[in-house]
Amino acid sequence: MRQFRIACALLLAGFAWCLPAMGQPAEEAVTAASPNPLGNSPDAIAAGQALFGKMNCAGCHGYDLTGGMGPDLTDPVWLYGSKPGEIFLTISNGTPNGMPKWNDKLKPAEIWQLVSYIQSKAAH
Amino acid sequence: MSTWKTALVTLAFCIPFSDAIGGAAAAAGNGAPAQVPAGSFTGATANLAPNDPPGQWARQSRDYANTRYSPLTQITPANVSRLRIAWTFSDGGIYGREGSPLVVGDTMYLVTPFPNIAYALDLSKAGAPIKWVFQPNPDPASVGEACCGVVLRGWAYADGKLIYNLLDNNTVAVDAKTGAEVWRTKLDDVKVGSTMTQSAAVFGNKVYVGNGGGEMGDMGWLAALDVKDGKVVWKAYSNGPDKDVLIGDQFKPFYPWMRGKDLGVTTWPKDMWKQGASAPWGWVSFDPDLNEIYYGTSNPGPRTPSQRPGLNLWSSAVFARDADTGAAKWAYQFTPHDQWDYDGVNENILIEIPWKGARRKVLVHFNRNGFAYTIDRVTGEVLVAEPFGYQNWAKRVDLKTGMPVINEDKQPKVEAFTDNICPPDVGVKNWNPAAFSPRTGLLYAAIFNNCWDLANHVVSYIPGAPYNGMDGRNRRAGPGGNWGEFIAWDPVKGKRVWSIKEDMMPWTGVVATASDLVFYGTLDGWFRAVDARTGKVLWSQKVGSGIMSAPIAYLGPDNREYIAVYTGVGGGTSVTRRVPGYPPGGNTLYVFSVDGISNGSGPSQLRTESPVAAPGLNATPSAHR
Repeated sequence: MRQFRIACALLLAGFAWCLPAMGQPAEEAVTAASPNPLGNSPDAIAAGQALFGKMNCAGCHGYDLTGGMGPDLTDPVWLYGSKPGEIFLTISNGTPNGMPKWNDKLKPAEIWQLVSYIQSKAAH
Repeated sequence: MSTWKTALVTLAFCIPFSDAIGGAAAAAGNGAPAQVPAGSFTGATANLAPNDPPGQWARQSRDYANTRYSPLTQITPANVSRLRIAWTFSDGGIYGREGSPLVVGDTMYLVTPFPNIAYALDLSKAGAPIKWVFQPNPDPASVGEACCGVVLRGWAYADGKLIYNLLDNNTVAVDAKTGAEVWRTKLDDVKVGSTMTQSAAVFGNKVYVGNGGGEMGDMGWLAALDVKDGKVVWKAYSNGPDKDVLIGDQFKPFYPWMRGKDLGVTTWPKDMWKQGASAPWGWVSFDPDLNEIYYGTSNPGPRTPSQRPGLNLWSSAVFARDADTGAAKWAYQFTPHDQWDYDGVNENILIEIPWKGARRKVLVHFNRNGFAYTIDRVTGEVLVAEPFGYQNWAKRVDLKTGMPVINEDKQPKVEAFTDNICPPDVGVKNWNPAAFSPRTGLLYAAIFNNCWDLANHVVSYIPGAPYNGMDGRNRRAGPGGNWGEFIAWDPVKGKRVWSIKEDMMPWTGVVATASDLVFYGTLDGWFRAVDARTGKVLWSQKVGSGIMSAPIAYLGPDNREYIAVYTGVGGGTSVTRRVPGYPPGGNTLYVFSVDGISNGSGPSQLRTESPVAAPGLNATPSAHR
């Protein structure tokens, strides 16, 4: 819980809003079935977009998310699952085929923002 | 020019062809006046050292000079249309095939892209069965750090060893007879975004290897290892203080703007050279007379130029170095403060040309930026720099200063698109190596005709993550609508002699043979033979996937000439994966011969006993009539 609040406080300038402290207690591990506590909130999508550039995700997946060094995130193919919890875990833990793990560089709330952004651009 | 041509006609016709070429090579090597074959378009010659047996192909470029010229003559313009598949070999892997098979004695050597499995195939037996397999098991974490496919651009044979780079920054040597590992040397760390996709190059008792990672903000370097034990003899960084770049008293660049102390530091904003990439992931060539190697460096990091005002030396440049000590002799930066990701890693082909009444030792380099440079390799002076395909970022290269005259309208900006920049990052030609024929005096290159719209974004450096910032959209074919061409190039005049338009981008290496044939492939899987003098396509064969690697010509144990090409698209070509007709990947080596004949062809190749009729069955076909 505390970890999550700190994460909110550290969000990017310009997106200095914070979630109500609800839903996702820090001690409860995210699973493939976990819902995205931020859903498709426009603020979360905007924050996710900023992170997508800032954390150099675009360097692999493209500024238009259509891929490059890394896979296309807009097509219907999801190598590691298309559910919010699955996308979260892919970002958080990385994958054996080259996706770096980001749980040492991003807070859970930031990863959820990325999930919101990616899902806003995805074809389902 | 016509004078020497006429004078040499008689001479060249009087001696057997192979002797004429061998003589020219030896003459050039000794510094004596070069002997130019009759019928040469330009008078250019090459030292074909180490003059391996004609049927052998022991290094990617066949010779030190990187000509990719084969002295074989069995397959000719007259019989090339009878080429058929003799045999094939599929390695079962995925990812693009960018290296060429090597043939030494009765064995062919192939190495796959990641996970970099080596195969030795026994050419003395029907169907070329596997002799041994070597699995080096590189770290899979390296897969995510490779910008442009987890490819391998080649491997080398020397001293009874097969030597090549692993994606995870190790160079490995394998016993060529047994497939047992002899040594493995770790040279960099995947965690900083470095990977190795370059082809190891062996000259003398050293193997020269370099890293990739231009999109990851790593530190580029080229190292010389001892062929015997893999120990690092020297390692030259591309950027940083002179002592790390191995710049000392011997360093004499031709142009004044490349002279000065620690330019690898001072031409960058504070400390940014440390993430300045300039990774030498391309080809290395060697002049045994000057004892110098030549190779290029990649784009500077990050790709967003506004973050790194300055020349950004020694990115997008070529280095000449002492082969034994690594001491830099000269350098030349093709694209100062590279704003377009044009790099300088493409091959440097070492030839000798007639120039203002004398002969000059030069290197020819087709840069991604669209200019073909003919550079004096003794002094670093640019003699010729002319566009070889469509580009609009520069008006010309000023030969007085060596600087390009940039088209101001085509400089990309942060957070705003500049429309129609040609070429995009992949260039007018990429790493796919050209060939040189000493018979025609021409170079043969597969080139691209393409454009995009480009914006930049400011990026932060995160070790192991892309340090890129380039946002290119609407990648498309350039004027005319064809994605590329295959051209013959005059390196003296800086002009094309002929060209063949291709619908798909022809991202392929080339081989030229002594019977005036040139072979190349296309991304949509056509393998072609062309008349080296006229550009007439004499034969085409569709293969399973597309072709990126360079074909080779070799003699089998049956003394027959074969043409081999490793196929399968991937790598950087995937930027065109949405172009209609771009094929799925593949992993097949194709071997061609006249009429498809090999030591594996013939009536029955059954290796067990002949079929035996089962008891009680009537083996006579008429029984069921």
